[in-house]
Amino acid sequence: MTNPKTIIDIRDGKKVFGSFTALTDINLSIRQGEILTLLGPSGCGKTTLMRLIAGFETLTSGTISIDGNDCAGTPPERRPVNMVFQRYALFPHLDVFENVAFGLKVKGLPRSEVKERVNRMLNIVQLDNFANRYIDEISGGQSQRVALARALVNGPKVLLLDEPLAALDLKIRQHMLAEMKRIHAETGATFVYVTHDQDEAMILSDRVVLMEKGRIVQIDRPEDMYARPKSLFAAKFLGETNLFDATVSAVNGIGTTAVTTAGTPFLGAETEDRHVSERIIVSIRPESLSFQGGEAAQSAEGTVEDVVFIGSRSFYTVRLDDQSPVRIQVQRNGHLALPSVGDRTRIYWDSANVIMLPHA
Amino acid sequence: MSLTRTRTGTLLATPAILYMLVFFIVPSLILFAYSFWSSASYRIVPDFQFNNYLGSLASPVFWKVTFNAIRIGLFTATVTLILSILVGYYLVYVSRSQTILYLILITWFSSYLVRIYAWRTLLGTNGVLNTVLLQLGVIDHPVSAFLFSPFAVTITLVHIYLPFCILLVVSSLSEIKRDLIDAARDLGTSLIGAFFKVIAPNAANGLIGAFMLTFILVAGDYVTPQMLGGSSGQTTGLLIADQFRKTGNWPLGAAQAFLMFGISIVLYAFITALGRATGLIVKRRAKTEREI
Repeated sequence: MTNPKTIIDIRDGKKVFGSFTALTDINLSIRQGEILTLLGPSGCGKTTLMRLIAGFETLTSGTISIDGNDCAGTPPERRPVNMVFQRYALFPHLDVFENVAFGLKVKGLPRSEVKERVNRMLNIVQLDNFANRYIDEISGGQSQRVALARALVNGPKVLLLDEPLAALDLKIRQHMLAEMKRIHAETGATFVYVTHDQDEAMILSDRVVLMEKGRIVQIDRPEDMYARPKSLFAAKFLGETNLFDATVSAVNGIGTTAVTTAGTPFLGAETEDRHVSERIIVSIRPESLSFQGGEAAQSAEGTVEDVVFIGSRSFYTVRLDDQSPVRIQVQRNGHLALPSVGDRTRIYWDSANVIMLPHA
Repeated sequence: MSLTRTRTGTLLATPAILYMLVFFIVPSLILFAYSFWSSASYRIVPDFQFNNYLGSLASPVFWKVTFNAIRIGLFTATVTLILSILVGYYLVYVSRSQTILYLILITWFSSYLVRIYAWRTLLGTNGVLNTVLLQLGVIDHPVSAFLFSPFAVTITLVHIYLPFCILLVVSSLSEIKRDLIDAARDLGTSLIGAFFKVIAPNAANGLIGAFMLTFILVAGDYVTPQMLGGSSGQTTGLLIADQFRKTGNWPLGAAQAFLMFGISIVLYAFITALGRATGLIVKRRAKTEREI
């Protein structure tokens, strides 16, 4: 796909509730056909942002345009978007078929067309046999599918999903994630997905919008956000990581060297915008550390304090000789002898995996 | 020794059941028996005849005052329900404040009669309404028609029964989550459309209950119409009360009370049927009807 079209464009968005600023400096272009995730802890403004797009809230300042049209003053019923609510918000007085048919009937489409489109949508979400059930007669996973079908049957330009899996248990959640990807592929709709769950965001998204305290802190593909977080918040929010307070000691052609407060030097590959004696934070993921290393690898010595086995992986806690604890994740491999609790060991890492972050 | 759940339940319900039995069901049955008795020169004679019923049904006065009571009842209940829905919507979905609800209920702390006299003062020839209109030059002499009119009766009854109706409406709207309204709007209905397509069907029982209870209280209220309605103030309630208080014809009063009861039930059935016909009340199909 070359240069996909922008379907939703938000410029300088700001939303204030009384004395509380819920969102500020929101600039976001959502591309046609993508799955975009709004990710962040509760209270970061992600749901407010979604409700602004849906039209349930209005911006204090700034603009939102959908498909090129500024939608200030357009009520939710006249926006070409549909929403899947967190608790589904299915109509209890209607059966599955009537729930899905609701939007089409409101539009006044002929009965035959309503029937055909609803049935086709029920087929996509695999609920053909449940059309006549009432909402309290179906399971949580099925309710989720009805909510998806009820929104998608209207052919929205953008489908908004507000933590749609939060109410489901883990097993169904994983299954529904796969279903969501399949339905996205089948319908080709643009999905804007709100979640506080980083795993859901990673699995599902083409791009992740990371939010904190009403601001967008980073927009990136999930793998880039994981590998190259731009802030301490991003590094901590996505996945697990080891963090060290450090001071830059040298910047040269090879990279930047920073020494942790405890005294261990880390050489990072990045060279830009760093200067000597700058205070930074060094982040290194547990899976970027190992007990074996090549010629170019950096290393430090320590003592194994704790080991946790999780099937194919093990998590080690090693206390370095400078007294700082480090978490290491290793793949279990029958050929290699791994250290045990109390063993002296040496851990290795590559400069490419050393992430240097601005001090918060 | 521990009590089983059902036995505990029965035990807890017993005082209420006994109370209802002694003070409502038994007296109602006695009243029902009275309605077949006869009265001769202020004396009640045990009997079994239908003259009380047949006589009332054949009496133009009974129908006139009953029609009047029903008209006042329906009109007041409709106005009260519409206002209650607006206030209820605001309380449940917009302000979410308990304080405002308490402020509304506080009017109940004043006596019923005080409120009636207050309206007499407001609507009288020297009242606030006339004074304001005179000052504004809208009228050039005081209008006496504000008082002792169906208008005065309705405005007073709405004022008296509004808090009660709001309380019922708020409790039935509280059952309906805001999400459902948002979902309806997201799917293309206006706010008004969402009310008729989603709120009303899900709150139908509560709303009809609020309407009917208001109707029954208003239709049976004979003090306000009497004191503010003038010649239009004759209602069934007053007619029935007079049978007990003035003419001493208890059997006739009892029969008319049961006729009014029957009329209320017919009205309730009619309103429910109307709700079904207009789609505001949705009846779920039984499972067997839905098997494919």
